[in-house]
Amino acid sequence: MSAETIHFDEIFERYRSDPYDYVEMHAVHAGTVRFLVREQDRVEAVSGEWKHIPGTPLYEITRERNPKVITAATNGMVSWINQDLEGQFVETGTHLLTIRHPLKKREIIEAILQEVLHLFPAPERARYFFPPEIQGRIDQKGARSIVVRPGDEIITMSLMKRDTPVYYTGEPGILHSIYFRPGDSVDQGVPLIGICPEEKLSVVQKIITRVKAEWE
Amino acid sequence: MIRTGNHGFGHERILALSRQEAAGEGVPRDTAARILRYGAPVGCEIEHFSLLDRCLDRLRQRIEARGEVPPTGLVVRADELVAASGRFQRAWYAPAGGLHLALLWADTLLAPFSRFLPFAIGLACCETVHRFGVAAALRWVNDVLVRQRKIAGILCETHARGEERYHLIGIGLNVNLDGFPAHLQQTATSLCLESGQAFDLEEVFLVLLARLQWNLGWVHELERQWLAEDAPSRSESFSPLLKKWLSLSDTPGRRVVYGFDVERQPLYEARVRGLDPAGGLEMELADGTLVTEYSGEIRYLDAPCG
Repeated sequence: MSAETIHFDEIFERYRSDPYDYVEMHAVHAGTVRFLVREQDRVEAVSGEWKHIPGTPLYEITRERNPKVITAATNGMVSWINQDLEGQFVETGTHLLTIRHPLKKREIIEAILQEVLHLFPAPERARYFFPPEIQGRIDQKGARSIVVRPGDEIITMSLMKRDTPVYYTGEPGILHSIYFRPGDSVDQGVPLIGICPEEKLSVVQKIITRVKAEWE
Repeated sequence: MIRTGNHGFGHERILALSRQEAAGEGVPRDTAARILRYGAPVGCEIEHFSLLDRCLDRLRQRIEARGEVPPTGLVVRADELVAASGRFQRAWYAPAGGLHLALLWADTLLAPFSRFLPFAIGLACCETVHRFGVAAALRWVNDVLVRQRKIAGILCETHARGEERYHLIGIGLNVNLDGFPAHLQQTATSLCLESGQAFDLEEVFLVLLARLQWNLGWVHELERQWLAEDAPSRSESFSPLLKKWLSLSDTPGRRVVYGFDVERQPLYEARVRGLDPAGGLEMELADGTLVTEYSGEIRYLDAPCG
């Protein structure tokens, strides 16, 4: 997305009229579903210092007499449930329910930025950290001193005491946003970093400034 | 200085020992044959040095060498290392008398199975120690301990050259070390100190390579079995590899401190409930909540049961 194609007013109006994120929950695997919440119920996100306190139980899915309870990862309200599926067998990925999550100012900035930045996701559920030389440069000069190119060893993934370099794939640019703390456990597919092409840096800064100034 | 071929046995002898030991593994003959085929490359080429900085560095040199594709199963061994280190740059004591080696293994496994490699390597080291009459136990993920002291250290890394990716597996096994520097005396031990006798290093090396052949081959066979199942009916049951790991581990039930780098930054204390089917460590915190970790490390806070 270039500076010319970012329509600030349109984006802001979208978030003003509907300042929510709609989190769709899909069946994690095939099995028989039993819902544990009803529409309009409030749900709480996973919490605790190490994200160790599970969120509100949403549904139970049973495969080969092995029940698994799926809990909420975000807080909000259950806005829709596919009630017809209660007690039915569903395939992996079936849309079961939706949580309406109220966005905070910080989340709105992040949501807009995520439309602009190139997001690099975690390849597996694991703990991630930066290689020492990159961490050193971040500590000394800040993340935006790091220029990332495809093929660069940007992050190290630690899984079962096995350290694997993760190579960047995507547009070259500046390391703009870091979405994890070194050593954090990150789920597969969750963004680790956001890369901003150099020519878009000024646009990104404008977005942040304007949201901070205009959002109550 | 390179001293290749002085280890007193060839690849055939490792294969022969693996075949001999397979009979006692309690798996069907055709399965055992496949496991042995998958693991057979271990030790197909052995480089033996009298002195190296680190065996893993030598493996990296071989990978990066122009015009060469190093074989999977390549083993680099050194009598002594001068710059050995473990995770987080922790120093590893590696004088003469120990078994210091690194193994190159092509990364051909699917992600859910490559995570079992550290377990397989730990299992191979622990079984080797047992073969020489010393009762060792595994601490999650792959620390090999005797009387709460470390007898073997393992370091697993991944290295890529272009599209090719390799697992680099560093192993240090304390065999004939008859003492340790003062700062390690309470945390390290050796086969020699535990049994009161010296061992033939070549024999220990041979047994370790045979156990690596079996356990690495087993991971590949588990992947083959999983791929052969229909996707919807794939079970999440415990793999026999993890069951065997558990039979040699004293981690379940222990009170532990957990951390990503537990020595520098311990995060919390918990009691270990067990492993999940992916090898994750299931722990219970003081307030009763359950947490599962897939990386990081633990230290015991209590004495072993029994």
